[in-house]
Amino acid sequence: MFGVSGGTLLLIATGGAALFAALVAIVFATGLAAHLPFAANTAKLQRSVSLAVKSLWLHKLRSVLSVLGIIIGTCSVIALMSFGEGSMQDALDDIKRQGATNIIVRSAKPPDDSATASKGFVTSYGLVRDDLERFSTLTTNADVSRIVPMRVFPSEARYLERLVNARVIGTVPDYQVVNKLELSRGRFLIDNDDSDLENYCVLGAEAADKLFPYEDALGRTVGMRGHFFVVVGVLKDRMPTGGTGGSQAAEDYNRDIYIPIRTSRRRFGEVIFARSAGSRSAEKVEYSQVTLTVNAEVDTPAGRAKVQAVGNEIKAMLEKKHPRKDYAVTVPLDKLEEAERAQSRFTMLMGVIAFISLFVGGIGIMNIMLATVTERTREIGIRRALGAKRKDIVMQFLVEAVVQTTVGGLCGAVIGVASVYCVPALWDVIRSTSWLTSEMRLPAKLHVGSIFVSVCVSVLVGMVFGLYPAWRAAKLDPIEALRHE
Amino acid sequence: MPAIVSVVDLVKNYYMGTQTVHVLKGLNLSFDEGDFIALMGPSGSGKSTLLNVLGCLDRLTSGKYYLGDVDVSEMSDDQLSEVRSTYLGFIFQSYNLLPQYTVVENIELPLLYQGIKLDEKTKARCVALAELVGLGDRLDHRPLQLSGGQQQRVAVARSLVNDPHLILGDEPTGNLDSKTSVEIMQMLRELNRAGKTIIMVTHENDIAAWARRVVRLRDGRVESDVRNDSRTVLEVG
Repeated sequence: MFGVSGGTLLLIATGGAALFAALVAIVFATGLAAHLPFAANTAKLQRSVSLAVKSLWLHKLRSVLSVLGIIIGTCSVIALMSFGEGSMQDALDDIKRQGATNIIVRSAKPPDDSATASKGFVTSYGLVRDDLERFSTLTTNADVSRIVPMRVFPSEARYLERLVNARVIGTVPDYQVVNKLELSRGRFLIDNDDSDLENYCVLGAEAADKLFPYEDALGRTVGMRGHFFVVVGVLKDRMPTGGTGGSQAAEDYNRDIYIPIRTSRRRFGEVIFARSAGSRSAEKVEYSQVTLTVNAEVDTPAGRAKVQAVGNEIKAMLEKKHPRKDYAVTVPLDKLEEAERAQSRFTMLMGVIAFISLFVGGIGIMNIMLATVTERTREIGIRRALGAKRKDIVMQFLVEAVVQTTVGGLCGAVIGVASVYCVPALWDVIRSTSWLTSEMRLPAKLHVGSIFVSVCVSVLVGMVFGLYPAWRAAKLDPIEALRHE
Repeated sequence: MPAIVSVVDLVKNYYMGTQTVHVLKGLNLSFDEGDFIALMGPSGSGKSTLLNVLGCLDRLTSGKYYLGDVDVSEMSDDQLSEVRSTYLGFIFQSYNLLPQYTVVENIELPLLYQGIKLDEKTKARCVALAELVGLGDRLDHRPLQLSGGQQQRVAVARSLVNDPHLILGDEPTGNLDSKTSVEIMQMLRELNRAGKTIIMVTHENDIAAWARRVVRLRDGRVESDVRNDSRTVLEVG
């Protein structure tokens, strides 16, 4: 899952510290502390804990305020980690939905287009049939299980007086499998449609809704660029891919109309004319895009290497034949790995924030503990006069600090876990009921590790930041402490 | 009677910056087991310092301090704490009870630092002591709910809980009115009759009159050391 990055190291460091804290907590809880040099016996320890609770209970408000930093720290660590994990999971799912084993090759207008355009009215670029044939050699040793070519051009689609600006996609039946399309009615294109050059089409959800708001779309005829197509199927609403960075822009698939690729070529020709805002252009693109599915498992390193290898092979193939660079190869796996790297960076960042907020909380504890030591100087003197050793005093204040941070950490954990479940629900309610029509979702996935780590770190913080005030308390001269008013 | 406390050439200096304050200038004193001693003297005479040294709260600059047969003048801080915990009981002028604890818990406090397990037995002992000082019906009260005299009774009970060899009082009646002072002193005399050695600091003659032996200090030296013969005679008679 992770490479050895800073994030991993931090995670290991935090984990180690947490383990230590947990160990100490266990030692304290089980009474093994009796064998440690600083505690005479278990009874005494249990006693100190109950005394600490009593002293803290005496100043309820102050105790709560002093651990507020720890509570907020723990709570925010858990909440942030969970929301971060949730949204990252969301992004990863998004990429996986695009097909992490796919390699997408697109035709792209070459950068030096102006020179080419001057030669003639028709711009010709992109993938050609030869490329497709070369790709198909990859299928022979079963590296690539599917090759799906697409030819895309914009067109108006009409039914009676209704009109929709659609994208016409000429493709093959495998397109449905590769892009995980779901049908709401009818069927997708089949092999025979392609070989028989049928004028059949499958509508995206929105296109179907716009063209046939009242009627059943199946069996109706849609007009596109002077040709008529019979609707054989309607797709379910398809979630647009959030533009997850890189070349992949956000795409809305719901206005797409799918037709057999050979029909597309036969009816509309190789050259596509487009009119937009007074200018006209003609482009000759044989394939707008070819999607290749690599036969590999994304969740294994070997599978990933294979996807990368095939990607490189394809790039090498195209490089030789397309000196104009009129293509672009996208490997969604790259984005997946990039997202995973982002996640580990994010985890590290969260770890740092966690550390800082708990550190700040610890300073709060130390501040209050120092004030408490000053305030209770006389009490310390009395205890010393009655036979308390220095280590008894250290123990008393240390236990108080640790009890505070432990309780604070547990409270924070409870609030944090609750917020992970409550906030998204609340957010959905706000989103659905009010004027706030944000599309933003708030996915959360409980990060179990962060609960353990943050609670342990808060225990540790109590020990570290309680030590100095406790030492100050123990250092006091008994006589001066007794005289203190 | 064997000496329970003896000090030889006891010197105590305080250092304030570059100045040295000579508080105790070579005291030689010996107190017998079962005695009741009042330390008197004007303020600045060193009586409180002597009591602190005897109570193992303060260290002496030079000289020797024997508690029983044990030389405590060279002991470490931890060992001194142990001596306080095992052999000494304290009664202070301002009671010095912990406000967050009940009467019983305050009495129990010295036992906490003896490393013994606190259970029903120790609790019963504390309750018995509370009853001994006449607070059997106030066991769960907090110090602030009690009068000064009652608080000092709790302090007396607390000083007895570890069955000390020596009880040290620092003006135990200083904050009390004369009636409650008499009650406390009666209590101390009872304890002394039962065999406890008591050393107390006071500046009131009528309180010192309860003691069997009165040691007066002046400028860090013993001014007079008198047996309260009349009282002794009275008791013998």
